[in-house]
Amino acid sequence: MNHVPYLASAWLMLIGLYGIATSRNLIHMVLCLTVVQSSTYLLLLGVGYRLHATAPIYQGIVPGHRAVDPVVQALTLTDIVVEATVVALMLALAVVAHKRFGSLDPQKLRPLRG
Amino acid sequence: MSIAALAILVPILGAVVQSAIGAKLPQTIAWITTNTTAAATAVLCAILVHKSGHGLLVTWFGGWHPRSGGVAFGIDMAVDHFGSGMALLAASLVTAALFYSHRYIDAVSPHYHSLMLLFLAGMVGFCLTGDLFNLFVLFELLSVAAYAMTAYHVEEEGPLQGAINFAITNTLGGFMVLTGIGLLYGRTGALNMAQIGETLAGKAPDGLVVVAFVLIVCGFLVKAAAVPFHLWLADAHAVAPVPLCVLFSGVMVQIGLYAIARVYWTVFSGMPELHAHALVQILMGIGGITALFGAVMCWLQRHLKRLLAFSTISHTGLFLMGIGLLEGHGLAAAGLFIVCHGLVKGGLFMGAGIVGKRVGTVDTGDAFGKGREIWPTGILFAIGALLLASVPPFGPFAGKALIEEAGQHGGFWWAPYACLVASALTAGAILRATGQIFLGWGQAPQEEDEQERGQEEQGSEEEPESDSLFETTPWMMWAPAWFLVLLGAAIPLIGGWHQWFERAANRMTDRATYAGHVLHGAPLTFPPPHISGPHTSSYVFAIFSVLGAVAVALVGMYLKPGKVLDQIADGMHAIHSGHVGDYVVYLVAGIAIIGGLTGLAVT
Repeated sequence: MNHVPYLASAWLMLIGLYGIATSRNLIHMVLCLTVVQSSTYLLLLGVGYRLHATAPIYQGIVPGHRAVDPVVQALTLTDIVVEATVVALMLALAVVAHKRFGSLDPQKLRPLRG
Repeated sequence: MSIAALAILVPILGAVVQSAIGAKLPQTIAWITTNTTAAATAVLCAILVHKSGHGLLVTWFGGWHPRSGGVAFGIDMAVDHFGSGMALLAASLVTAALFYSHRYIDAVSPHYHSLMLLFLAGMVGFCLTGDLFNLFVLFELLSVAAYAMTAYHVEEEGPLQGAINFAITNTLGGFMVLTGIGLLYGRTGALNMAQIGETLAGKAPDGLVVVAFVLIVCGFLVKAAAVPFHLWLADAHAVAPVPLCVLFSGVMVQIGLYAIARVYWTVFSGMPELHAHALVQILMGIGGITALFGAVMCWLQRHLKRLLAFSTISHTGLFLMGIGLLEGHGLAAAGLFIVCHGLVKGGLFMGAGIVGKRVGTVDTGDAFGKGREIWPTGILFAIGALLLASVPPFGPFAGKALIEEAGQHGGFWWAPYACLVASALTAGAILRATGQIFLGWGQAPQEEDEQERGQEEQGSEEEPESDSLFETTPWMMWAPAWFLVLLGAAIPLIGGWHQWFERAANRMTDRATYAGHVLHGAPLTFPPPHISGPHTSSYVFAIFSVLGAVAVALVGMYLKPGKVLDQIADGMHAIHSGHVGDYVVYLVAGIAIIGGLTGLAVT
């Protein structure tokens, strides 16, 4: 089994987390969130991938032909839809932040402390 | 159509209708229809609680039953006592919160109603589903609705920041859960919880399964606001509208713990090594630290909503101590405590909303002594605080006593003391605030430096709907508050409650019977639950806890903290910096520590 997709996925997750932790711009932060999210796509697709297999469309294909797992592709699609909602909401918050306070720096919002 | 499916469909349809035509309806009509939808969902959940008395109600969507041999391709809902009970708690609290919203929020925008119903649909589905991926999708649904409603007053700085912190941390939690699910699917080729459990049963956990376990548990612990993942909770509570706080504190946080229990017992409990004593130690440790840390932070707050929020964090630690024992009695105790605490705490938040509306601020310094006119709310606070300090034989006492006994039985001698300290400190903090706001006892909390000044301005600003103060308290605000507090107190006085919770926990922890019924339609035969009630020692602890709470409250009102204590307090405040970047660092560190310990424990 090839481990490259998993390593890439772990790398994407870590670098995305690093980006969020150090971000000074809300839009940059939301995009880092999508980087973390793409690590889950890669993981799911990697789990279902099979070498020398075709897309899971069975019409007109000889029985016994290898195909990649369609379930993970459905999961990935659902994941994309779900997270698009989150990203849209976060970007809307960023737009409001910029309009009202003229800044996208999360550290310049007066912090809620204690 | 099955009732379980209806219980999700009704609020979703309600949300669709509200967002489609809610803006054209008169405000009152929109409110009545929304409230009716939520109440109908609560009734459906109550029917589910009743019908699941036989054991387990399984529905396969689209008729995709498992093939012979127990291979599930479809998606199922498996409703048992515990899940339907949590769903009922969620639906009842949403109904109460919507009822309260009508007077609390001046001009309710139509999307508030539809988001509330979507939130409800997410929570109900989350409690009833038997499919791991659906669990994730519904988790995201309820979370997104919650983020959006936290930012309801988005024109303010506080709500905006609270919503961003909440959304980023919880979305990362969701990704952890999803990664865990992906890994489990890779190992077992299944998404149905019963089937994953069957595939893993009897095997030794390998590295992949342990990583998946840690990621799923940590992801849900973010929602459950356990230390060190708790930082978003206080921010979100401080800025969200009060009806939302009722739901966040009353049920949403606890749903995270429910998910840990559900996933542990249906998916992982068949693996002998994962039931190692060390794993119990880790979960109990997180629970104990959360309980104590939350209690101290609660004590340090002067903003009433933040104070109640940290009290919730502390109680979450106590629930985790019940669930973390990984056996039936602890789970039953946690279930009872979750229900009673959710109702009482919901009522207290509604009381805080009344203070905000009548006095204009919920900061104990600014509202100092200004609550004399609204003394009935003061009585509500005093009763709620004493209940949380566990006055026997009412609700929170019964739950806490059972957790203490389960903890001691499981070999954790410190469990009762942790419960004692946590409940005395949190209840004492609420009593102190009660004395300061409603009676003007002691000294008004003084501003010490610029930073706190900033925080206080924040506090007065985040009640924008309080621009026009109420002359009298509308009955639609005080009635639900009193109803929730009294209901939370009364539950253990209902005959048969103890059997009910023990039976619910007994069934939830029986993985093999669950899987057999879901996958093969095998008959349900549960061993009868063993019931042991609160013993004398629990009453002693309860008396100490109540006395402790009163003492803590008096100390807080009349004594000034020393310099050393002040420095420690400043240090603890500094952890809660309000910067989401810091929260993410704590989150990653927490996952690394919990993962490392679990890895050591299992190998």
